[in-house]
Amino acid sequence: MLESLSQFYLPGAVTMWCALFFALASLWGYAQALRGDTAALHFARRGYTFFSLSILMAGIILFVCLARRDFRIEYVYQYSGLDLPFHFQVAAFWAGQKGSFLIWLVWGALIGLPLLRSAGRDEPAVMIFYLLNLFGLLFILVRENPFVMLEGTPVDGAGLNPLLQDDWMVIHPPIMFIGYSAAAIPMAFALAALWRGDTSRWANRCFPWALAGFLVLGTAILMGGYWAYVTLGWGGYWGWDPVENASLIPWLIGVVLIHGLYMERTKGRFRRLNLVLACMMYLSVLYGTFLTRSGVLADFSVHSFVDLGISRWLTLWMAFFFFASLYLLATRLKHVETRANEDPLLSRGFFLVLSTSVVSLSTLVITIGTSAPLLTKVMENPAQVGPSFYNTVNMPLALVMVFLLAYVPFLTWKGTPPGQLHRKLIPSFLFGAVATVVSLGSGVEQIFHAVFIFLSATALAANVHKVIDKARGPGGLASAGGYLAHVGVGVMFLGVLASSAYDFSTKVTLEQDVPQQVGEDLTLTFKRFVPRDGWEKEKMEVLVERDDGFSYLAYPSLFVNDRTRQLMANPHVRKTAMRDYYISPIQYEPAEPKGVDHRIHLAKGESTRVEGYGVRFVEFDLAGMENPTVQLASGGMVTVGATLELSNDNGTQRVTPVYSFRQNGELSTPPTQLDDGWVAITAIDPDQGRVQLDFGGFGTGGQAARLSIDVTRKPLIALVWYGLYIVLAGGFLATVLRWRQARQLDALDAEQIGTGA
Amino acid sequence: MSKDLLSKNNAKYIVGSLLLLIFAGFSYSEFKDSLTPYVPYEVALKAERSVQVAGGLEKDTHRYDDQTGILHFTLVDEETAETMPVRYEGLKPANFEDAISIVAIGMYDKATEEFAADKLLVKCPSKYQGIEDAEGKSYDGKSYEDGQGYETTAYESNATETTAYD
Repeated sequence: MLESLSQFYLPGAVTMWCALFFALASLWGYAQALRGDTAALHFARRGYTFFSLSILMAGIILFVCLARRDFRIEYVYQYSGLDLPFHFQVAAFWAGQKGSFLIWLVWGALIGLPLLRSAGRDEPAVMIFYLLNLFGLLFILVRENPFVMLEGTPVDGAGLNPLLQDDWMVIHPPIMFIGYSAAAIPMAFALAALWRGDTSRWANRCFPWALAGFLVLGTAILMGGYWAYVTLGWGGYWGWDPVENASLIPWLIGVVLIHGLYMERTKGRFRRLNLVLACMMYLSVLYGTFLTRSGVLADFSVHSFVDLGISRWLTLWMAFFFFASLYLLATRLKHVETRANEDPLLSRGFFLVLSTSVVSLSTLVITIGTSAPLLTKVMENPAQVGPSFYNTVNMPLALVMVFLLAYVPFLTWKGTPPGQLHRKLIPSFLFGAVATVVSLGSGVEQIFHAVFIFLSATALAANVHKVIDKARGPGGLASAGGYLAHVGVGVMFLGVLASSAYDFSTKVTLEQDVPQQVGEDLTLTFKRFVPRDGWEKEKMEVLVERDDGFSYLAYPSLFVNDRTRQLMANPHVRKTAMRDYYISPIQYEPAEPKGVDHRIHLAKGESTRVEGYGVRFVEFDLAGMENPTVQLASGGMVTVGATLELSNDNGTQRVTPVYSFRQNGELSTPPTQLDDGWVAITAIDPDQGRVQLDFGGFGTGGQAARLSIDVTRKPLIALVWYGLYIVLAGGFLATVLRWRQARQLDALDAEQIGTGA
Repeated sequence: MSKDLLSKNNAKYIVGSLLLLIFAGFSYSEFKDSLTPYVPYEVALKAERSVQVAGGLEKDTHRYDDQTGILHFTLVDEETAETMPVRYEGLKPANFEDAISIVAIGMYDKATEEFAADKLLVKCPSKYQGIEDAEGKSYDGKSYEDGQGYETTAYESNATETTAYD
């Protein structure tokens, strides 16, 4: 026991074990409380509080270890290093698998504290299911303990993946994990309600939590998209990568769930479906985690983790909740009373059914697409689907969506006569028509796009109309959250269409100081290479001039990470109201000195042709190398030669150019003269037995510095962000409203209990 | 009975189910079409849809046409020694010559007898380390700070790192 203890950093390991102990104690307490032991409830709460504090402490300990750059700890060693500024050093917390499970658990534990206070009479059952969810994380962390120590103390860590060294890395992942933690709450409420056989109140209590989860997850997705757009240089905000989809799927299920809860709260409908959806939202988080963390997609995703031996635990955890949900739903759902669909065609209820069906369908096809590598594994070679699948399949759904959104604001529960409905929609239709005419004038050609623009703009206007009506009404602006979110959807869809269907993108290679026409109205000139300055990486200065006089200097960045030698590219984005200009660097070739005509790489025994010569690399000539280690250590020079066989029309000759170096980096690569030029070794790779050869003096090469870039113009992309801000603002209003209502009903509950007793 | 079938509610369900069926069929065909499985060259020659072929770059076969912006090269299957000529419209990816493996995603064009790639994935060797590397210099002795020697770094990117060029 003691032997195994010594491999852990004790303060961290002890807090983890304490957490496990207190979580078990709390679970036991809640189980007793469920049987009616009111004293146990107090015990359970206290246990939970201590559990949260322990987990929080574990998080703080890892945080401090990172801040102190304590490389004895394996996790600190693996994901951070001395070269990182402080904020990246601590962001390394969530750079690896273990740390990201820990931050997930930290949030989960903390969210549980307000949850247990808001659960009212359902507290014991809700907390039991919520704790079971936290146990899933806790067991993984006990197995994959982040506090494992190394035997020695390295002087430096292995460093943080350069792709993650970005300001968004500090904020985006932790917010995503708050969203993941929050996704467990509707599940806990639903399973608790099913378990107790009382499904009358869970929706009311769950509603604000579901909205808050939607809000946080949406914020994280927005940040992720923005990060991908402005710094990662993927050219867009959404690539339908499995990791992105893994967060989108729970969010979309959340969208359906909050609409279902709205129906249940106002009309008593969707009672059964909501219980299913609450379970599915949580299961989809687990499924997404499984897809991206178990290594099943390692060959298909740009940022999947490889399997660290946790896929079995993840599968077990997922299977437990899947079968628990399935069992409870299968046995108890039939006893849940719900109202059948009797709504007329043009009514709010029926349109809600339709629109949630459309979102569900979209969720389904995205889930199937993301699972493609798993699904196809069964039949043939595993394969994934490209972004075109998601785009094409979601297009008709989006069209139906905006159509429904346009009609929803002025539909009543009882049904609205078509004449009356359309009269109310006249101003909105006018707005839609104007937007369509403007777009046709600005180059929109496809009929489908024109229809989509008309409907999106109409939906936008109709919901703005409704928001104004609501804000003037007795509920005030607080009651307009849902419609405000719909306004945002309309704005966002317009931005998505304009920026993706009418973008212009081209790849060009610019020679230094030579202006080049790009597209119809742009002239680009590569001015200079800007060297590194402190934390500022190497940049390229590109002058962008538009025919109408608008001009600016773009600074896309292209640099080599010191540690991994990875070539990193960060685009430059110039945002304007109507369009963004996006310049993404691809390749930079520094000026080649006049005289070097060819650069080739040969392994031992290989041959190629250069300037009429057949060149074969025969072998290394190590005659000048006595004891390289001793030589280097004593400051001496080590010389490696490479015997080349050169053959042309005049016959075959052997030459042996040499490559000499000292420990201090001093290098000598003298050229060996040929009949009409020269050859020199300019690099060697001892591992693979390869040499880099420069051929010069033939007078055919040498060139100015060249920069290859990808230039993209994205019209109205700002609308995507503004739209999402509006959606989230609407979500926020709705969360506040439903939170208040839940509290009021809690107070009523308490009163009833009081009068009953 | 017939009146029942035509009642408003039933009509809703029938129309809904029909639309669902159409959408399911549409999605299924899109799904099948956009799958890009890894296939051997002989299968790629006959394939009627987008596939992925992989192989090493055959020596001295790549040629970038500055005028048309098209890159031509030949992939060779290391095991069977079969070859596949490939055409790619776009810039030559950095460190292309030193790739240990290239994945081309696209379709075989029978007219030009070339595999027309829409996308290339270039997998680079793990190391092309010069002896100077321990000193924080690039192996050709030029320091990175002066903006020189970018093209050399490509050899040193991680083996598992796959760079995509759309």
